[in-house]
Amino acid sequence: MKRREFVRNLALISAGTPILLKEMQFQSIGKPLFGVAKSAEDRVLVIIRMNGGNDGLNTVIPRDQYANLSIQRSNVLVAEASVLPLTTEVGLHPKMTSMEAMYNNGKLGIVQNVGYPDQNRSHFRSMDIWSSGLINTPPDTGWLGRHLDLEYPGYPTGYPSGVCPDPFAVSLGYEVSSTCQGILANFSQAVEDPFDVYNLSAGGSINDGTYYGDHMEYITTLINQANAYGAQINTAANAGGTSTIPYDLLNPVAKQLSYVAQMIDGGLKSNVYIINVNGFDTHDSQVATTSTEDGNHADLLKQISDAVGWFQDDLAVRNLESRVVGMTFSEFGRQVASNASLGTDHGDAAPLLLFGSCLSTSILGANPVIDSTITNQMGVPMQIDFRDVYASVLKDWFGVGTTEIQSFFEHTVTYYSLVGGCGVGLVEETELASDQAIVFPNPAVNNAQLRFIAKSEWVQIDVHDINQRIVAILYDGNLEEGEHNMPMELGYLAAGSYVISIQKESGNAQVKLVKVE
Amino acid sequence: MPEENQNGSISYSLAPYTGVWTKAEAGHLLRRTMFGPTNQQIVDTVTNGMAASVVSLLTIPAIIPPVAYESGETITTFGNPWVADVYPTNPVDLTSTINARNLSLAVWIVKRMNEETYSIAEKMCLFWQNHFAAPFCIDPRATYDYHALIRSHALGNFKQFAKDVTINPCMLLFLNGATNTLYSPNENYARELLELFTIGKGDQIAVGDYTTYKEEDVAAGAKILTGYIVDGLVSDTIPNVTANYTALYHDTTTKTLSTHFGSVSVPNAGAAEYSNYIDIIFQQNTLAEYMCRNIYRYFVNYDLTVDVETNVIPDMAATLIANNYEILPVMTELLSSQHFYDISVRGALIKSPLDMMFSVFNSTESVPGFDLLTDSEMYAFIYSVCDVMGQSYAEPPSVAGWPAYYQEPSFSQLWLNSAYIKLRFKITDFATIYTGVPGNGNNWKLSVFTFLDSLSSPADPVAVIDDIADVFAPKGLDMAQKLLLKAILTNGLPDFEWTVQYNDYVANPGNVTFSDPVKLRIELVLQRMFQMPEFQTI
Repeated sequence: MKRREFVRNLALISAGTPILLKEMQFQSIGKPLFGVAKSAEDRVLVIIRMNGGNDGLNTVIPRDQYANLSIQRSNVLVAEASVLPLTTEVGLHPKMTSMEAMYNNGKLGIVQNVGYPDQNRSHFRSMDIWSSGLINTPPDTGWLGRHLDLEYPGYPTGYPSGVCPDPFAVSLGYEVSSTCQGILANFSQAVEDPFDVYNLSAGGSINDGTYYGDHMEYITTLINQANAYGAQINTAANAGGTSTIPYDLLNPVAKQLSYVAQMIDGGLKSNVYIINVNGFDTHDSQVATTSTEDGNHADLLKQISDAVGWFQDDLAVRNLESRVVGMTFSEFGRQVASNASLGTDHGDAAPLLLFGSCLSTSILGANPVIDSTITNQMGVPMQIDFRDVYASVLKDWFGVGTTEIQSFFEHTVTYYSLVGGCGVGLVEETELASDQAIVFPNPAVNNAQLRFIAKSEWVQIDVHDINQRIVAILYDGNLEEGEHNMPMELGYLAAGSYVISIQKESGNAQVKLVKVE
Repeated sequence: MPEENQNGSISYSLAPYTGVWTKAEAGHLLRRTMFGPTNQQIVDTVTNGMAASVVSLLTIPAIIPPVAYESGETITTFGNPWVADVYPTNPVDLTSTINARNLSLAVWIVKRMNEETYSIAEKMCLFWQNHFAAPFCIDPRATYDYHALIRSHALGNFKQFAKDVTINPCMLLFLNGATNTLYSPNENYARELLELFTIGKGDQIAVGDYTTYKEEDVAAGAKILTGYIVDGLVSDTIPNVTANYTALYHDTTTKTLSTHFGSVSVPNAGAAEYSNYIDIIFQQNTLAEYMCRNIYRYFVNYDLTVDVETNVIPDMAATLIANNYEILPVMTELLSSQHFYDISVRGALIKSPLDMMFSVFNSTESVPGFDLLTDSEMYAFIYSVCDVMGQSYAEPPSVAGWPAYYQEPSFSQLWLNSAYIKLRFKITDFATIYTGVPGNGNNWKLSVFTFLDSLSSPADPVAVIDDIADVFAPKGLDMAQKLLLKAILTNGLPDFEWTVQYNDYVANPGNVTFSDPVKLRIELVLQRMFQMPEFQTI
């Protein structure tokens, strides 16, 4: 048998499965329902991950609850007089002076008591939930990854491209961000140092003159060459120019945010930057033995507050303020009562901070209520669902359509006005057009819903695989006029990409469905 | 450690290695003799010691022949071996059955490698596939017989192997032996027998003189080898493909070899003449050196330095000759030698695509574990993946095998370029954090829990990363790399949080709320490990 024939025969076996290797690319039949508004293309979201579970009660301090806080957590609570007052009810940790100033200039927002129902207190599980925005389905994709998958179907095949030469997201450090996990690849590029030409710290081995050392050098060179985004990032960082703001570069958050400002200013078209700050798992020594205003947690808050303050100043100097907003998150807050080790244990909800000059909220949500007696291991109850914060940012900052946003999440989304001070935010589309449909959640595991509109007419709905073969007929019959939300059982479908075709006289609609295990 | 290593010099001795015996040395032995040793296998090798481990490794376990699984097969029923079954008469069915059996062969090969036991068998078989580099032939039964022949001789007598492969139907078809007759001599096999398979081609020192043999030997050899034809190809009545001596086609003249063979005469001996000829070739001691260079390059290092040529190759060759061309003693000596464990040759080879692929699967104890059809489709996919990466087993690019095993000066670096490295990353991403290997509507991902649970202390993140480095990095990882991997494992949290999470997972079997986060972390760690340059070497 000829070699090529044999290979082709093998390839046939694999038909019908998404073959990354053969460069087969799924061609979306339907056009995107909602494009990104032009003005949103330049927008940047900076995410600061406070890893370990931030003690929200020691960050945003409910001044009106101070008396009972002092009963529950006197050994970690900062002195009442030291709290930086934002309002009569709300104050900040004394080390957060930069953020206090930002608040007074309308550049800091607080979303109170953010969490999700039935808080999971495992770091790993909870971080997966926060990164994916999914609670009941496996966290196989990130909340930003799902958005980017719809915008750039087929990624990473065909990228970087002439139109999209830059990474969609930059994750500062060595690890890509789970928030940007798409179906086939992660949309974020890990960048430890944008001034390192290739940004990929490939390995620790150096060429020590042995055969092995020679291979290490050879392979490292190849890996660097293979890093298609490296040169783009490097060029942008250099083009951005040195900052005139006196960042303290020994502060790791400040150093990374200074890089971010330079990359944005240098023209990098990445829409998302993710910074990770470790150390918030403060079971002990959260505060110093000498003073509750010092210690590990205070140092971390100061690092972030100072860094964000300099970053905002830097953006102002660079005339970039209207393009950038920032957001913090942490996998959970900590318990109301402190422990005997000058620390706090894993809790529930916590405040989330927003920063930038385009905010439309200062403080959203009420202070948590702290009673004088509480149940054992009590956390701060959730008030605002973190997924709604994500959804609101997607809608008002990136101009993503609400129907599309709904498809990213399992729950019915509620929107809050969080950003919008710079005239951003799009007119919400009222209803689907006759040739539009959405599937949510998407990607889906076993169940999903199909939303579309129909006149009073005969409707046939088929599921096609990527070879355009019909693999299922979902519906074949009359429907009443109006919007329909049709539940779909997907358990019988193999993992892969499908197209759902809705045929009706008032207009055919096609929508892509991604089924995952 | 040997004295000479303490001051940085290289040991070229084949005397038994008596230095420290840790996971580093045991891992080196296993990475060179297996595709993907597990941490437990490395630990056991440390416990059992070098000598006993080498003995265990140098055995060839029996395996079952390939079975029918693909719908194109029209004779053999699903799940049964087809290697002694006829073909359908109908030409359409014949084509589909041949295709089905070729696929089954590819699946068989991948499954063998994926299910390798504590044995050098699969590495040794690939060595011989690269040496007697015949590709698929027209009849899959003959292709199977060729691979079965390789396996049966993998650690056997090289002289007998050379004789048997000479009249193997697959080889007779590949190098035109089947059409080499008295009336129409064909030199193809006679040339490769000398140039590549046995004595090796030396420098050209005169017209038609290659130091070790001359053109006249090729011509004489072709005549000596005449008379073997192949019967039963894709037959609808004959259940086996056979090579049969046919006196009518044999050149009965007396052939004379060149001065390099002492101008010896080879009188007519009919069916046995090829065997007599190979006996003469094997009287040349340069043959042993040529073969030992091939073994050395494949198992130790590609670079035949003056020191290696002076000190290692002659000793290996002496062992081969003293043992009448038995391979086992040569391998035993080599794998137990001071030189084999010298630090200068560790990590000196870049993984071939097959090394890379089965390092990922086998070291994590990952097998598909579905039904025959599903597993087979996944294995066929992996076969094509390795083909795309540059190494399709049973389809070597030429009679000389894969260039990365012989082509100076780059050798194993030829397995990688900037496109291939991206491809490798895509594939390892696919196996770790993405959808896995597809087949029949299912997906095969790495058995990360089996892998993790079998490490020395899975609840201890430091020990987890140490074990991962021991398994996948021939010369270890430095502290910065280990910290980086540990930070991925713990998601940047204090070490004890991983311990808590792991123990929760163990205490709550079957509960995905606890197991999913553990799975994700270990997948991310492996994904990153597989992107480190250290991983690409053995």
